[in-house]
Amino acid sequence: MQSNHIIVANHVSKVFTDPVDFRVLDDISLTVDKGEFVVLVGPSGSGKTTLMYALSTLDTEYEGTITVDGTDIASLSPNQLAQFRNSTIGFVFQFHYLLPDFTVLDNVSLPAIKAGVWSADEIEERAMKNLQLLGVADQARKRSSRLSGGQQQRVAIARALMNNPKILFGDEPTGNLDSKNTSMVLDILRDLKAEFNQTILMVTHDLQFAERADRVIAIRDGRIVNHE
Amino acid sequence: MSSPLRSNALVKIAWVHLVSKKRQTIVAMLGVMFGVTVFIFQAGLLTGLQNYFIEKTVNTTAHIHIYNELRAERPHVLDNVRAYDSTWKVVRNQKPRDEERRLRNGYQILRVLEQDPRVEGVAPYLGLQGIVRFGTAQQAATLAGVDILREDQLFRVRENLIDGDMLRMQTIPNGIILGSGLADKLGVQVDDNLAIISSKGVVLDMKIVAISKTGITAQDNTRAYITIRNAQRLLQQSGTYITDINIRLRDVNAAQTIAAEYQSRYQYRAEDWVAANANIFGVFRIQNITITFVIISILVVSGFGIFNILMTIIYEKMPDIAILKAMGYRNRDISTIFVIESLVIGVTGGLLGLLLGFIASVIMSSIPLNIQGFVSVQFLTINFNPVFYLVAFGFALLSTAIAGYFPARKASRFDPVEIIRSR
Ligand SMILES: Nc1ncnc2c1ncn2[C@@H]1O[C@H](COP(=O)(O)OP(=O)(O)OP(=O)(O)O)[C@@H](O)[C@H]1O
Ligand SMILES: [Mg+2]
Repeated sequence: MQSNHIIVANHVSKVFTDPVDFRVLDDISLTVDKGEFVVLVGPSGSGKTTLMYALSTLDTEYEGTITVDGTDIASLSPNQLAQFRNSTIGFVFQFHYLLPDFTVLDNVSLPAIKAGVWSADEIEERAMKNLQLLGVADQARKRSSRLSGGQQQRVAIARALMNNPKILFGDEPTGNLDSKNTSMVLDILRDLKAEFNQTILMVTHDLQFAERADRVIAIRDGRIVNHE
Repeated sequence: MSSPLRSNALVKIAWVHLVSKKRQTIVAMLGVMFGVTVFIFQAGLLTGLQNYFIEKTVNTTAHIHIYNELRAERPHVLDNVRAYDSTWKVVRNQKPRDEERRLRNGYQILRVLEQDPRVEGVAPYLGLQGIVRFGTAQQAATLAGVDILREDQLFRVRENLIDGDMLRMQTIPNGIILGSGLADKLGVQVDDNLAIISSKGVVLDMKIVAISKTGITAQDNTRAYITIRNAQRLLQQSGTYITDINIRLRDVNAAQTIAAEYQSRYQYRAEDWVAANANIFGVFRIQNITITFVIISILVVSGFGIFNILMTIIYEKMPDIAILKAMGYRNRDISTIFVIESLVIGVTGGLLGLLLGFIASVIMSSIPLNIQGFVSVQFLTINFNPVFYLVAFGFALLSTAIAGYFPARKASRFDPVEIIRSR
């Protein structure tokens, strides 16, 4: 196992038992390297989201082993898991999931506040820097629910980057955006990868995405069907 | 684990939740407030009244009262006559004999009791019914033959005098102290002369030396103090005749045990003050139970109010909870948010309730009422015991905590995956 692997999944399977037994992940093994931009594609219902939740430590109920940044996820207690997510992983979801009654700045600050490493001033500074990076610094003091969809998604990315995550996960982050906003988000992800060597794992239906990724993993019926 | 920044963030989230549900939050707070207000007001009013009554009654009831209990069933005088055959014997109208009420060796018992270190004071008593006459006005009265200094030691006679001088009972042979109601009905004042007449037909001329007002209507309307010697004269009895001994103890709460001890030692009925007022305390107990139930049910209802609003917030803010968990907030952090919310409601409602309960009590206690009933009261005596305020606030917090605990736990156990998926 090379040290360059930041995610290692070994024979991961998962069965949903409700309403009937259904093998949603079937013996999946994969690795993701540091600084790699990997895209997960596949037909609807093939298990992409399920796999991403497992790889990103949100879901811990599966067979097999997943190691992220050298840590076996299954060995962590719920509190350790929360701590691990806070420091190591950033999320962007299809629906932006900003806290609607808070300002943009507050939303972006939340992961850093939880980390408890920086002072209030440092956190604000970092937050503004990230918002700037994503071109939404001018919205910082607005309530997040006032922003457009594309702006909200960029704020969500800024938030995901707050604690310098080792991996940025996304589940169809552009699924809800028009083509202009989609390509803007894509450009941003590309830049993150190019400038900061950010490891990125995205689930998508979007072929544009696939074109710009380092690697595309295709899934069908819970199995990996190709490695490019 | 709890950096101030992080707890600030949790407080802020809680605050934003509450503000986003302003109206429901206020209703929940009002529920708690109402519960606490009613608690304080009712408890203050009720115990204030009860305490006033107990104070009045206890100050006029001996801690222990020794007397000769007349039995309703007396053995028939003919029971032992010709009991061996079935001869008919008839004696109608067998009367209780007068001297049965007498405490034999009453003064000796009194002196022994005085030596008991647990006893603070002992007072002999000889009471009778009589008529008080002033010119053509006459009133039935309970003539209480007492040793006025001892009586004062037990029942604070002097404190209740509204006119005159108690000590003249000692300096003149025929002094009498009238209850205020009795004096009013007769239309007499201090230094007036009047006559008292007993059922034996004895008439004594008396001089009013003082007028007393205890606040207990029944007593003020009928009682008159005279000396024991005069009471004995009215009953045509010798100088050792007394019917009752009243005792004041150093420790009121020991009354029951000491009374039992005296009763078995002297073979006379020795009744402690609790037993003497058992029916009143029974009423109080029922009052207290009722009011406790009312208060508890109000607090339970206000608890449901809090529970309700928290559940509403939780279901509405599920996505917030999910995303907070995804970014690394722990279950504990999530439940803290909702515990804070319930505490904000409970503490705010509770404090408002304390304030309102206090204000209501103050207003109530300053309204002149002049009730003339069981006891005469000018103002409602409301009990401002701080314990009520503490207990009311404690209960508010308790019902809040219970009402907040379950929603908070539920929120903290949400699976973020399910929430994010279901969007
Ligand atoms: N909690 C669950 N219980 C039972 N079945 C589930 C559950 N969650 C997902 N599934 C099923 O697992 C399969 C994979 O779901 P998943 O969301 O991973 O698919 P996906 O590849 O992300 O699809 P899409 O492209 O539509 O998002 C689907 O058939 C789905 O119905
Ligand atoms: Mg999906």
